[in-house]
Amino acid sequence: MNISGISVSTRPEWVESVAQSLSAIKGVEVHAADVRAGKLVVTLEAPTVSAEVEGFKRIRALPHVVAADLVQHYFEEDGEIIHAIPDDLDTLEGVSVPDALKDH
Amino acid sequence: MQLSRREFIKSSIAASTAGVVGLPVSRLAAAAAAELEKDWKWDKAVCRFCGTGCGIQIATHQGRIVATKGDPDAPVNRGLNCIKGYFNGKIMYGKDRLTQPLMRLKDGKFDKKGQFVPVTWEQAFDEMERQFRKTYAAQGPNGVAMFGSGQWTIHEGYAMNKLFKAGFRSNNLDPNARNCMASAVAAFYSVFGTDEPAGNYDDIEYTDTMVLWGANMAEMHPILWSRITDRRLAHANCRVVNLTTFRNMSSDIADLEIVFKPNTDLAIQNYIAREIIARDAVNKPFVEKNCVFATGPYDIGYGMRATDKYAYPAEKDTQAKEVKVKLDKWEAIAQRRKEGDVVEQKNTADPARHWMISFEDFKQGVEPYTLDFVAELAKGDPDESLDIFKNKLRQLADLYIDPKRKVVSFWTMGFNQHQRGTWVNEQCYMNHLLLGKQSMPGNGAFSLTGQPSACGTAREVGTFSHRLPADRLIPNPQHRAETEGYWKIPAKTLNPKVGSFYAKILRDLEDGSVKWAWVQVNNPWHTHPNANHWIRAAREQDNFIIVSEAYPGISAKVADLILPSAMIYEKWGGYGNAERRTQQWRQQVPPPGQARGDLWQTLEFAKRFKLKDFWGAQKVPGLKADGFADNTLPDVMADAQKLGYSPEDSLYKALFATPENLKVKWPDAVAKGHDNHIATLLGDGWFPEKAFWIEYQQFGKGKGKDLADFDVYHADKVRGLKWPVVNGKEVAWRFNEQYDPYVTKGAGIEFYGKLFKAIPTGNLDGVTDPAPKSLAGKAKIFFRPYAAPAEQPDASYNLWLCTGRVLEHWHSGTMTRRVPELHRAVPAAVMWIHPTDAEARGLKRNDLVWIESRRGKVKVRVETGGRNKMVKGTVYVPFFDEGVFINRVTLDTTCPISKESDYKKCAVKVYKA
Ligand code: SF4
Repeated sequence: MNISGISVSTRPEWVESVAQSLSAIKGVEVHAADVRAGKLVVTLEAPTVSAEVEGFKRIRALPHVVAADLVQHYFEEDGEIIHAIPDDLDTLEGVSVPDALKDH
Repeated sequence: MQLSRREFIKSSIAASTAGVVGLPVSRLAAAAAAELEKDWKWDKAVCRFCGTGCGIQIATHQGRIVATKGDPDAPVNRGLNCIKGYFNGKIMYGKDRLTQPLMRLKDGKFDKKGQFVPVTWEQAFDEMERQFRKTYAAQGPNGVAMFGSGQWTIHEGYAMNKLFKAGFRSNNLDPNARNCMASAVAAFYSVFGTDEPAGNYDDIEYTDTMVLWGANMAEMHPILWSRITDRRLAHANCRVVNLTTFRNMSSDIADLEIVFKPNTDLAIQNYIAREIIARDAVNKPFVEKNCVFATGPYDIGYGMRATDKYAYPAEKDTQAKEVKVKLDKWEAIAQRRKEGDVVEQKNTADPARHWMISFEDFKQGVEPYTLDFVAELAKGDPDESLDIFKNKLRQLADLYIDPKRKVVSFWTMGFNQHQRGTWVNEQCYMNHLLLGKQSMPGNGAFSLTGQPSACGTAREVGTFSHRLPADRLIPNPQHRAETEGYWKIPAKTLNPKVGSFYAKILRDLEDGSVKWAWVQVNNPWHTHPNANHWIRAAREQDNFIIVSEAYPGISAKVADLILPSAMIYEKWGGYGNAERRTQQWRQQVPPPGQARGDLWQTLEFAKRFKLKDFWGAQKVPGLKADGFADNTLPDVMADAQKLGYSPEDSLYKALFATPENLKVKWPDAVAKGHDNHIATLLGDGWFPEKAFWIEYQQFGKGKGKDLADFDVYHADKVRGLKWPVVNGKEVAWRFNEQYDPYVTKGAGIEFYGKLFKAIPTGNLDGVTDPAPKSLAGKAKIFFRPYAAPAEQPDASYNLWLCTGRVLEHWHSGTMTRRVPELHRAVPAAVMWIHPTDAEARGLKRNDLVWIESRRGKVKVRVETGGRNKMVKGTVYVPFFDEGVFINRVTLDTTCPISKESDYKKCAVKVYKA
């Protein structure tokens, strides 16, 4: 089990509409919103870290979301296989070997 | 029951989140938070992943990490983390984590063609030592090499730097930061005479104009991006400009988006300089008091090999540009020469030399960069009208020049990974200095970094082949002598010959001049361009490659020996971020299995050698320096004995477990109950990280690089400190009297950096008076011309390929990519291409294609949509995608001055697979 607290920013005029689209995402709950500051507090729950990251990306890709930042991340033993950090997360470490290399 | 527990955790996490965001928290939720966390132990640490250097808090329970959060007290991120923050607590627990040494064996003995088999640490070190001695005996200090890292902790980098340079007397140690930061460093040296930025992240809240030069901060620096968007949204007058070669996420909030062609950022900056002069906007009092003008040679090549001996047949025409360049129309105008002139590249050996020129010369240099010329050259989107583009350039100049505006320019890889990376960095300072908008809150050119300790470890500790700690340089006799003093080693122990830079170590492996190489915390065979060469060199040449790793990446797979490393929070460490902030953390959890910290590996290896193995005379072909016999390092053993050393002393004893260091005891109260697996394993009662810190501190003291005491960084209320830390106070803006005690009283602004501050005088064409003239206290405003890319699209390879690091592509989610069957059928990695370019090649979205350059080809899937909108003529493939090894295709040109690779441009063709 993975649960994260995420801060979402948008322009004040979009807070309400963003809150609606957030609630429509599986595992997302909106806990608080501040229209003037253009900020929303949400939690995201997913069975694995990878699914958690997917959910996060989904939030970030919503129309009118200008920033989504992770505040707290809680996890319990989930038996998930994390081969390494996913490669699209900008890291020099821990990638598995691409097929392309195997003919050598 | 379960549900209620979940709800309970959720409301507790929502409470923490609301607290950070500044929204009210209900009392019930606050109580839930307290209850959930009652058995956890929280401690501060630093994020593992990028140069922003966010503070995090880590909760451990029963030897494992259970939660992480953005540190609300960290001034960098104020409680926030980006998406990568998820992995801080998780990366240690992957299934394929390496937990014991693996060596290629056949019939129980090391064999280059053998299979990886688990071995003991003892066996691993035995073979490492045997191979080391063999190579060292045959080839001396030049024959061995180290690939270091901007992800090394400061202490790890410091120890390896000392082992190589003082112990092995080899300068063949270079970090992967070479490929991310070196151009920034070269420009800091040439312009200011000292490395690293004047400003800090608070510039974001002080400024009203932010210009992003080829830096997709929305994806690369998300936390800084949040600060930028907050600033933009809260201030109607604030403006954000995004200069880029294709439309990316940072454009979402930008007020002005300028899409330009590769390398033409050089021309755009000269256009701005020309406008500053034409509009009589030069800040004359600032420039006259604080600056001089300078330039250098143009014919400096592209950092490739000088010979085509190792080039594949198809590569030879590109390689030939290293020797001769035929000027195209644009270069001819930009360099005031004739189109079609063939220019021999005469200054490849000393591309960094430069000299002072007059303001009139400078003005003449930028004169050709008119709006008409630059717009026609630089316009990157064929679908945009020239008039609109011109208008945008004019707006950009307006924003810089407006006397009422403060301006911060940000850049990262777009400038640094550039065939003229040093020049384009220098040009950014050029405009800020001309306008006097530098080293003040909200005003300044700000070079950001990618890796978490590119600044702290690679640059400050000087783990480069030409550097020593705290802005000292290998070729400088005084700097070597000072270093020998701090290290208490005999004079002339240090090798005065600059070692091989990152790309050159790979070339050395290819031509056999290096035969033993060790890699820590980086992945050269994955990340270095033109990879086919290097993979062949590693697998098919007679050499020995050791890779210290946590997970089996490409470099581990091509290695001969894999050493399992402890990861970030399994050891004590410290990183330095892009705003000069040094942060340290304690070990939080133990490393799994046989995994051990890189520092332990370094120290254990040092135990295997004696001083007499290295401190006698050594052959170093090519060594030529004052006070040294040619090609030779002197025997320093007699002097060493006078200092109390014995030839039989181990390197461990002589360099690391010194009498002073042994006095720094482990355990130590600063640990507050946290363990130190390295101190425990060494077992001789000292605290290596703290001892090295004390040693290292000496280098910067009184030199503008002062660091605080070890325990200070670990104090509860400290969240890192920006050096120089003088009398316990950090420095927010360097070179500015108001903030920086190193500035002479009454000077206001003083660029006090000491390097390259006496240079010859000349004009745009060369030196006229070779006598060095001092420019102490001043910065240099460089004229640097536009230069065309070494390889450009032509009839056979008709598209630009740009590569980069992060890309949001959730169509090909991480989950699906983990399923092997799916993976094989459809490679997850994609190539972004403009729909019209795709159509012209009979391609549609999801088609499999080959992308091929003169150097190699890979298969990818076509993507025509998404957030990154390609302009016609350019395709984009991300680097770090396991499905597509794009570095088989990329070109290994470098900035000739900084030796940093240019991943951003080469020519390719694309066709159906
Ligand atoms: S911005 Fe960088 S330092 Fe901050 S959380 Fe993200 S990866 Fe870590």
